[in-house]
Amino acid sequence: MENDKYKVLLVDDDITLCDLLSEFLQEDGFAVETLNSGDAAILRLMETDEFDTVVLDIMMPGMSGLDVLRTVRAKRHVPILMLTGRGDDIDRIVGLEMGADDYLAKPCNPRELGARIRAIIRRTQQGNSSNIVHAQLHGIVLDSGTRTALVNNIALPLTGAEFNALSLLMERAGQTISKQDMTQEVLNRPLEAYDRAMDVHVSRIRQKLAAVSIQDVIKSVRGVGYQMLTEPQLQQEKG
Amino acid sequence: MLKHTFGVKRLFWRIFIAFWLASLLVMIATGFVLVNKFSSDEYNKRFFNDVVSQAERIVWRYEQDLATSGGAKVKLKDWVNNKHNRDGHLIPMLIKNDNGKTVYHYRLNKIKLKDRTEQHVTGPSNREYQVHIRKPKAPRIYKQVLYRFQSLQFGFIFIASALVSALLSWSIILPLNYLGAFSRRYANQQEVAILPRKLIARGDELGDLALDIDFMINKTHAAASAQQQLLHDVSHELRAPLARLQASAALIEQKSPDSRHVKQIHNDCLRIDQLIQQILDYSKLEQGSPTVENCDLNALCQHVVDNMAVNYPGIPVHFTARGKIELAGYPEALLQALDNIIGNACKYSANGELVEVSTLARELSVVVTVRDHGPGVDDEEMSKLSQPFYRAGNQMHTNGFGLGLSIAVKAINKHNGELRMSSPDDGGLCVEIILPRTLP
Repeated sequence: MENDKYKVLLVDDDITLCDLLSEFLQEDGFAVETLNSGDAAILRLMETDEFDTVVLDIMMPGMSGLDVLRTVRAKRHVPILMLTGRGDDIDRIVGLEMGADDYLAKPCNPRELGARIRAIIRRTQQGNSSNIVHAQLHGIVLDSGTRTALVNNIALPLTGAEFNALSLLMERAGQTISKQDMTQEVLNRPLEAYDRAMDVHVSRIRQKLAAVSIQDVIKSVRGVGYQMLTEPQLQQEKG
Repeated sequence: MLKHTFGVKRLFWRIFIAFWLASLLVMIATGFVLVNKFSSDEYNKRFFNDVVSQAERIVWRYEQDLATSGGAKVKLKDWVNNKHNRDGHLIPMLIKNDNGKTVYHYRLNKIKLKDRTEQHVTGPSNREYQVHIRKPKAPRIYKQVLYRFQSLQFGFIFIASALVSALLSWSIILPLNYLGAFSRRYANQQEVAILPRKLIARGDELGDLALDIDFMINKTHAAASAQQQLLHDVSHELRAPLARLQASAALIEQKSPDSRHVKQIHNDCLRIDQLIQQILDYSKLEQGSPTVENCDLNALCQHVVDNMAVNYPGIPVHFTARGKIELAGYPEALLQALDNIIGNACKYSANGELVEVSTLARELSVVVTVRDHGPGVDDEEMSKLSQPFYRAGNQMHTNGFGLGLSIAVKAINKHNGELRMSSPDDGGLCVEIILPRTLP
């Protein structure tokens, strides 16, 4: 049984809080390991691939959560959930742009933390399960079996959340998808007030597509959400 | 403050007038003394000269007459009356010879004895004569003084003293005005500015005053930033135990899922967290200004309106943008203001009641209007609304702390803008945010 549990690494400088959260998450069905500094977290994450999710506090003395994120992301693809202060919009956006998968405002209800961890794990493992889709549009080829996006046979370096967002947009090309729906389907959670996660993910997809000369294919619909243009729509926009 | 700028009560005019009057008085007094001393001496000297020369001529003629004939007296009168023989006008005088006999008399009898004085002349025959005359009386002094002051010289002195007085006044008032303007600027902007070294280095009392003001500003600023820092630190530090409290509550809940009190703990934790956030927002607005950016007001409004759909799904919020509106400002602060005002409109609206948000561009300012159809606010309560922790008394809302509007007002003040509230006739509340396009 022990081996079936998802392994979570919890990094926070507050030792008491780590103990309490770890107790809660273990009871909730996770295998939890805690570390209390950024340096220790980097060492641990570099030596192993065994964690299914990392929960990372941004506000830590010494090496901050953002420093850890930058260092780890360069080498590892483990899903990372940031814990940020409620008003720290900048931290959130920077964190998401550095490749964090999602964020949660701290202090939080541990039940919410458990739900987020589950959502992240579920979506990174989506590809391993059923309905394999092959979609193709504007020269982008998606393979949901291997969770890769190819352009001219070269793989785009997409994170899990970015891949999910791109495949949702391509699946429903020509339709406008609301931010609420996108957040629910891509991040497996409801949209929050001033939630920037989806915007940052979409903007990162745009940048990565623009780097391979695919431009203007994802349109923002002000006040609603995003739309992947079909090829005739794109011709019309350009014309 | 402006209406007194040119009043007589201003220190400038008081100093100016005092110095000017003083210098004029000194000049008049000096003139008076000079005229009094030298002019009357000179007059007397001239008077006696005239008297002696006239008397000597008369005596000379008298002795000639005496030598030639016996009727000298009549002939002397005739000779004197002939104006070819006299020098200038006749001076009233009485001439007696050494025997006490009157030799010549002209109009002296009208003059009292005490006003008389005498001179001695010697005739060609070496005989002594007494000449009685009236005491010399110089003309009134003030007349002479006035006469002198009517000259061009005096005009120059008059203007020069006015200029010097004005200069002196300015030299005192200018640094005072500068200090006043400086402290007003400091009070308005809450920024530490540095007083010019020149002012502090004066070394006089004004320099001391500048030094004191500098000291006071530094003290005030230190106190204000210490308070901000304390508020900030306390708020941050409160979050750590709050997070532990929430985790402990969740553990209790996990072990005995039917505990209804845990739900209460969770709710209160959330509330404390929101309060901490608002205090942090509030203190952030008090702190020094971030850099000014070009803000697209319509995009900011749209962003806030979009988010209302998440927090208040039952309230339809309509946004009407009129024209492209850009202004120089602090987007973070503007977002907070809009979020609190539009959020309040939604909070006090019942499900289905429309909230209308619109923007309008004017030449020098931009206006955001937020209109709700909720219960509205009493006129007398309107002015109290922006005080921290004040909540409209006719509302039994427990959701909120009364900080929202003070945050909004602070953010708007940061832009030199204005918040206006009014109660439309058909109910609800209308809030207008008026922002200048450029910051001063």
